[in-house]
Amino acid sequence: VTSEGSTATSTLDELACLESMRRGDPTCLGGFFEVWADRLYSLSLRLTGDPAAAEDIVQEAFVKLMAGADRIEGRSRLATWLYRVAYNASMDRLREQKKLAPVPADEDDEAALPMPTTLVEFGRSPEAMLRDAEMRHALDEAIQSLPPSLRAAFLLRDVEGLTTAEAAEALGLTETNLKVRLHRARLLLRERLSAFVARGSGGARS
Amino acid sequence: VTCAALVSLLSDYIDGSLAPEPRAALEAHLAACDKCHIVLDTTQCTILLYRVCESPSLAAERREALLRRLEKACRRSV
Repeated sequence: VTSEGSTATSTLDELACLESMRRGDPTCLGGFFEVWADRLYSLSLRLTGDPAAAEDIVQEAFVKLMAGADRIEGRSRLATWLYRVAYNASMDRLREQKKLAPVPADEDDEAALPMPTTLVEFGRSPEAMLRDAEMRHALDEAIQSLPPSLRAAFLLRDVEGLTTAEAAEALGLTETNLKVRLHRARLLLRERLSAFVARGSGGARS
Repeated sequence: VTCAALVSLLSDYIDGSLAPEPRAALEAHLAACDKCHIVLDTTQCTILLYRVCESPSLAAERREALLRRLEKACRRSV
């Protein structure tokens, strides 16, 4: 039993569409764009923090896809190909802007897990929490505080719904390393959100 | 199962990828340990929050302009 989702969320025949785009026919580009543009944009924006760069990255990914240098077989390969291009381009941007700190040596080391310290129930449903603008801001801050390599693992696996194998392939990691990064990311995000909730309830009590 | 062991297996548990035996041991610990129960609960809620919150998207006019550029690039590419 696994909760892993599938990236197959549309009925668009993406591979047939890709073939026609590569022949210079933009007829189904709109439908393809509809499925992929925002996914690639939100990943790139959450990695780079720069809307203009994220838009450029979406454009680059599509242009590269249509240029058709790489063979892409199967829908899952198409998804991982697109996410990989967006991820690599985002990391290149961060590197150029010297915003990319070197990966800590223990990042893929399970022994160095961040242990939970703040233990409070969130006390509200996710829907109720998301109606709170401060909570939404805390969510943004928490995810931006993660190193990009952990952020990417979390976004692809838990937000975009890729399987472990797909996310690992998109990020150029082994499945084991992907799982370690995902685990660290989840624990760090849990900790940050718990600290936010604890501050809120402390304020309400005083 | 200790609390530290639970934390290290937490993602595998959430993803349903634990074998029946360690899963049963972990669930026995969860039933008896309030702290670990909170850790599991808040971790699952954290994942759900990010899954259901609105992802950033391209503004309508930027989107339209980008699609037009790509259509041009598509026709040019042959």
